[in-house]
Amino acid sequence: MTVPTSRTLDVKKSENGLPALLDVDAIGISFGGLKAVDGFSLQLPTAGLFGLIGPNGAGKTTVFNLLTGVYEPDCGKIQLGSRRLIKCKPHEITAAGIARTFQNIRLFPDLTVLDNVRLAGQLHNKHGLWSTLLRTQGHRREEDVLKEKAYDLLRIFELQDRAHELASNLSYGHQRKLEIVRALATDPRVLLLDEPAAGLNPQEKILLSQSIQQIRERFQVAVLLIEHDMPLVMEICERIIVLDHGVTICKGTPSEVQNDPRVIAAYLGSGLTDD
Amino acid sequence: MSDFAQTLITALAIGSLYALIALGYTMVYGILKFINFAHSDIVVLGAWSSYKLAIWILPAIGLDPLNLKAPPPFWVPAVVMLAAMVLCGAVGFAIERLAYRRLRRAPRLNVLITAIGVSLLLQNFGQLSFIFGASPQSMPQLMPNLELVSFSFGEGESAQRVVIGLVDVVIFSLATVLMLLMQYLVFHTKLGVAMRAVSFNTDTAALMGINVDRVISFTFVLGSVLAAAAGFLLVMKYTSMNQPAHATWVLLGLKAFVAAVIGGIGNVRGAVLGGFVIAFVEQFGAFYISSAYRDVYVFALLIVILLVKPSGLLGTPMREKV
Amino acid sequence: MTTPQKSDHTKTSQATVSSSTPPSSTSGGAVSNTLTGLLPLAIGIAVALTLHFGLPLIVNAFYARIVMDIGIAIIMAVSLNIVNGMTGQFSIGHAGFMTLGGYLAAFITYYGSMLIWGDVKTHGGLLGPGELLFVSSCIMGGVLAAGAGYVVGLPSLRLRGDYLAIVTLGFGEIIRVVLQQTGRVINHADALKQGGLSQLIPPPVGGALGFGGVPKYTNIFWVYTILTITIVAAYRLKRSSLGRSMISIREDEIAAQAMGVNIARQKILAFVIAAFFAGVAGGLFAHESGVIISPQDAGFQRSFDYVIMTVLGGRGSITGVMLAAGILTALPEFLRDFDQYRLIVYALLLIIMMLVRPQGLFGIHEIWNMWPLRRRTTKATVNAPSQEAT
Repeated sequence: MTVPTSRTLDVKKSENGLPALLDVDAIGISFGGLKAVDGFSLQLPTAGLFGLIGPNGAGKTTVFNLLTGVYEPDCGKIQLGSRRLIKCKPHEITAAGIARTFQNIRLFPDLTVLDNVRLAGQLHNKHGLWSTLLRTQGHRREEDVLKEKAYDLLRIFELQDRAHELASNLSYGHQRKLEIVRALATDPRVLLLDEPAAGLNPQEKILLSQSIQQIRERFQVAVLLIEHDMPLVMEICERIIVLDHGVTICKGTPSEVQNDPRVIAAYLGSGLTDD
Repeated sequence: MSDFAQTLITALAIGSLYALIALGYTMVYGILKFINFAHSDIVVLGAWSSYKLAIWILPAIGLDPLNLKAPPPFWVPAVVMLAAMVLCGAVGFAIERLAYRRLRRAPRLNVLITAIGVSLLLQNFGQLSFIFGASPQSMPQLMPNLELVSFSFGEGESAQRVVIGLVDVVIFSLATVLMLLMQYLVFHTKLGVAMRAVSFNTDTAALMGINVDRVISFTFVLGSVLAAAAGFLLVMKYTSMNQPAHATWVLLGLKAFVAAVIGGIGNVRGAVLGGFVIAFVEQFGAFYISSAYRDVYVFALLIVILLVKPSGLLGTPMREKV
Repeated sequence: MTTPQKSDHTKTSQATVSSSTPPSSTSGGAVSNTLTGLLPLAIGIAVALTLHFGLPLIVNAFYARIVMDIGIAIIMAVSLNIVNGMTGQFSIGHAGFMTLGGYLAAFITYYGSMLIWGDVKTHGGLLGPGELLFVSSCIMGGVLAAGAGYVVGLPSLRLRGDYLAIVTLGFGEIIRVVLQQTGRVINHADALKQGGLSQLIPPPVGGALGFGGVPKYTNIFWVYTILTITIVAAYRLKRSSLGRSMISIREDEIAAQAMGVNIARQKILAFVIAAFFAGVAGGLFAHESGVIISPQDAGFQRSFDYVIMTVLGGRGSITGVMLAAGILTALPEFLRDFDQYRLIVYALLLIIMMLVRPQGLFGIHEIWNMWPLRRRTTKATVNAPSQEAT
């Protein structure tokens, strides 16, 4: 198991002037000759809320996979706070403080709602095999604390009544919510949400955007959001990055991005010119 | 030198058989993405049904199977082999239809367990007294024990002979013919295109108008037919046969599966390559190192390949989409 | 969402207990904790003692033997379930661990006996010196098997499903072949003492015919005591964070990793734990009267038996697997006349189960969850009024 090297490094300033919590510097990756992501950079401040948009196949989820250690970048650097993340496995990255949800929901279907959340919350557990087998006091206490924390989190998101239901039995909207709750249970500093609004009805989307903002307030996590729902993105994101074919074509505030001709071309095509 | 040559000849013959069996594993894996554990039992079925057919046909033409003075006419082994191939093809079709078809969307572990179940079923059903029985038998010599080629190394008293027998030649050439037919089928016919399409993406293939059920059935039949041929040829060479549930058969199938994996599972050419690689490793290892650990060499090679290049010699690495 | 409250959400928030659980740090609490920790074990030992002394009064040796066989089979199946059921790996070489551990245990007891007492008869009664040697040798067998479990677990990091199955199968076969090449058992203490260390290579454990002459220490008490330990360990594992992380690997490896689970470590841990118990069970097996442990016992036929038990019982269910193990061990004994049909019936049962009820008898539930009339009271109904799902 490779140990991520840690160096105390200077922290860059992000676009809105605040120090960058997550500093990504020109990462990229190719798959068999095809450059899926090219020179992606990002300075995400603490409790910032940024959006990542682009047409289908632009490489957005690939960026997430690069940030969470599923893929190893061919080039570039990723820094969380003052710590450089190099060659880290996904679970190490989560332990460092970056959590994610998945585009296609990846809950643990045969575990209960409570267990899904507990599983995410236990990565900082200290007690190992022998404590478990002997059911030592330390182990029991740790388990009790874990359970309480999980319930607290479920209560915040009003899922506590379904704590003992299997995750696979929840409605789609609740499953999406649970995915977010689960990611939060890992105690992250950065939360990567991959199309959290996909498949939600307008009512649910309003609740979602409220939730995201409240999450950032309450838990002080930075959020990077992949979404296709433009009104939602434009409404809540402070800054937006636009990807197309793996390349960053625009970065800025919502209004800047909305009016950028390259962005419009990427989504709608260059279309008819002056006539 | 003569030992080397003899081992080489045996390796080529055995390699062809492993290749034939490996083709069945690799085709089914390519299309359905699971190991058909029951495939080796089709080989057993091919071998034992050849035996039963032989001891039924021979008396019918006036020959005593237990006491063959001379090899029977040429058409006897041909008929026996073809009949065995037909029978096994039918059984392969039935297995797919009855057991595997319903599990096409099931988790792979479930299908694997079902395959183990089918394998156990075939083995132990075969051992029933009214089917093949649970005792070893001796296959009648349907092919003449001719030495086609022999040459000597060395001079005078220390001269050692190397023999290439008719059986070995038949095995090698027949297997080669079958493999070339397979190659032609998979790469130069419409049916082959359909098979390859289904192996890439079943749903898309269905959308393109391919009758996926029929392609899958055909693949099973094809694999079973090849397995039957391999079983028949095997008992032509090694006439003492163990009972159907005996470990040697399972090991044979396992090694053929290892051959398919080493060549790149799902890759038709890889299966052939793997078959010969396994045979060479096994035969030369058994001769030059120790024959007691014959089975171990093959598994050791498997572990090495899986750790170094898991997609096999000719396979392409697969990425899981997150 | 309820109105946000102040919460100190720092990295060390685990240490701060946010609600009403009182810290149980008084000495009274510690004592009661230890007692509840040991209670299942005490109950198990009591049951084992009762069976040990009571059973021979009721039934003859034939049935006593079956009871022991069932116990050993349950240990094997429950331990295999940790790898196959909980962690979702596909190990079909479990008998290899058992045989490896059994051979080492037999070796230690046999030659230890020779060196200490000069012969290989059993010495002392229940909990006597002979039995202590026996139990230690079983534990050593378990440790060796655990080491093998580590080695076999390593490929599991790179291989999935079918491939792993083949590697585990290969492992069992390799053990079998290697054991077949061992040397003849040394019969006399004098020969042992005079022979020196060179007679230990290859190990004199009998070769292809098996290791005969091992003193027969296995009795109902030990089988069921070790069984209790196995079940308690498996159950505690299942209900703990460690068990949850193993289950999450079964459910979705990628999501598990993303939630901080070190899947490599957990997979290997599963293999090691399961192999340990299998090795101890192997020791019990080798010292059972009427048994001559042989290389064949490492082969896939025996491994398949245990796989079938875990499949039938239900991959998440300890009690389900216990029940399946019991039935599948006892039934053939009573149906000996139909022995040639036994495996056919098993095979059909397996196929039908996969087609009709693939989750096994109990699925992920234990036997006490299967009763539909009993509703579990959940914390949720205590804390807040239930809301209708929309």
